Amino acid sequence: MKSIPHTRSREAEAWLKREIREQKARYRKILAEQEALTPKRDRWIADFLERIQTRGFHVHFNIIRKIRPEEVPVKPKRKFKVVF
Amino acid sequence: MARPHIEPFVDRDVSFRKFTMPGFPKGMQYKMLSLDPENGACSMTVMFEPGYRQPPGMSYTEYELFIMTGSITIGQKTWGPGSYFMVPAGVAIEAMSSSRGATGLLFYNYGEPSFVESDTDHARAERNKFAAVNAYDDMQWTSTNFFPATAPGCLVKVLHFDDRTQAFTFLYCMTPNFWQDNISYHDCAEEAYHIWGTSWMMQFGELPTGGYFYRPPYINHGAFGCKLGTLAIGRTDSRLYNHFHFNPWTNIEENRERAASRIQHWMPDLYKWVNTHGHNHPVDFEYDHGHAHGDAPHHHGDGRVEHAHKPKRRRKK
Repeated sequence: MKSIPHTRSREAEAWLKREIREQKARYRKILAEQEALTPKRDRWIADFLERIQTRGFHVHFNIIRKIRPEEVPVKPKRKFKVVF
Repeated sequence: MARPHIEPFVDRDVSFRKFTMPGFPKGMQYKMLSLDPENGACSMTVMFEPGYRQPPGMSYTEYELFIMTGSITIGQKTWGPGSYFMVPAGVAIEAMSSSRGATGLLFYNYGEPSFVESDTDHARAERNKFAAVNAYDDMQWTSTNFFPATAPGCLVKVLHFDDRTQAFTFLYCMTPNFWQDNISYHDCAEEAYHIWGTSWMMQFGELPTGGYFYRPPYINHGAFGCKLGTLAIGRTDSRLYNHFHFNPWTNIEENRERAASRIQHWMPDLYKWVNTHGHNHPVDFEYDHGHAHGDAPHHHGDGRVEHAHKPKRRRKK
């Protein structure tokens, strides 16, 4: 029994409503901040794709495999996002 | 859980505010980290003001409390930083107080926060699932036992493990100069809060002390790095499997499809059965039939997950 059925009070409903509204605003702010991070992220991704070819890609714990150049993925043309 | 993707969020950027949910005593403040708009389940940073007093009572939903600073007293015992409580729905805890104040994290797992004054358990409470431990003093760090596992230097203390869903709550730390060069996603939702330290993820940048995320399933995260070390608390809502890869641009749909393809290859017989049986509601003989609150959504071959069941009539023998 994770939750016991009960009736939610009007005050609790109002509290939830306000929190949901604020969470939507928080989410929109995160989207904007993450969009602004795009140039830095592009650099980090380029560095990562370089490292997995030189130092290697973590397969499991300390097992590392070097990725061959032909295995490196190519960026698709569609819009890229990290927050869903 | 149907919470949105909140990542990253740093609670140090916002102020505490008074917690005004009905039933709760005065003297508690909070910062909302994430909230499920459907059922009100939520994660919050909380502050108990010096002199806080709470009578014995219970919640209608299971909750977890982790103390980060200060101390609280429950009954006769005082609990300091690192203390963790798993309180099942309906389990009454003794009177609680905090003479000098405390901060912590409070997770309501299946419904909105509630407090009902009571010195006895609710009739449906599962008292045997109550747990309390000081994770700093009484538990030691271990390597993760996943396969595939996180890179060396990421250690855990498992605080709670749900044997039905395999959801778990855990402290984790990353050692100084930790690095893990892969991209991960999981079949479960995952959330974490940085108690101390800064780590870095390729998608989201740096997450400092007070940093938090709630991440729904199949969202890419990583590569990972941590210069000076990090102490954090994490939670999942079901079994965690590390689907590692190195394509930074895959999306949720592709990641989910890959996970399903892996099930097809790892458990071919089960995969076939689920796809051909027509009744997508398997029953575990060790548990009830499964229409209780908080149970997994399912359908009956028609794709209608949001259906209702009438109570079954028992035949007289």
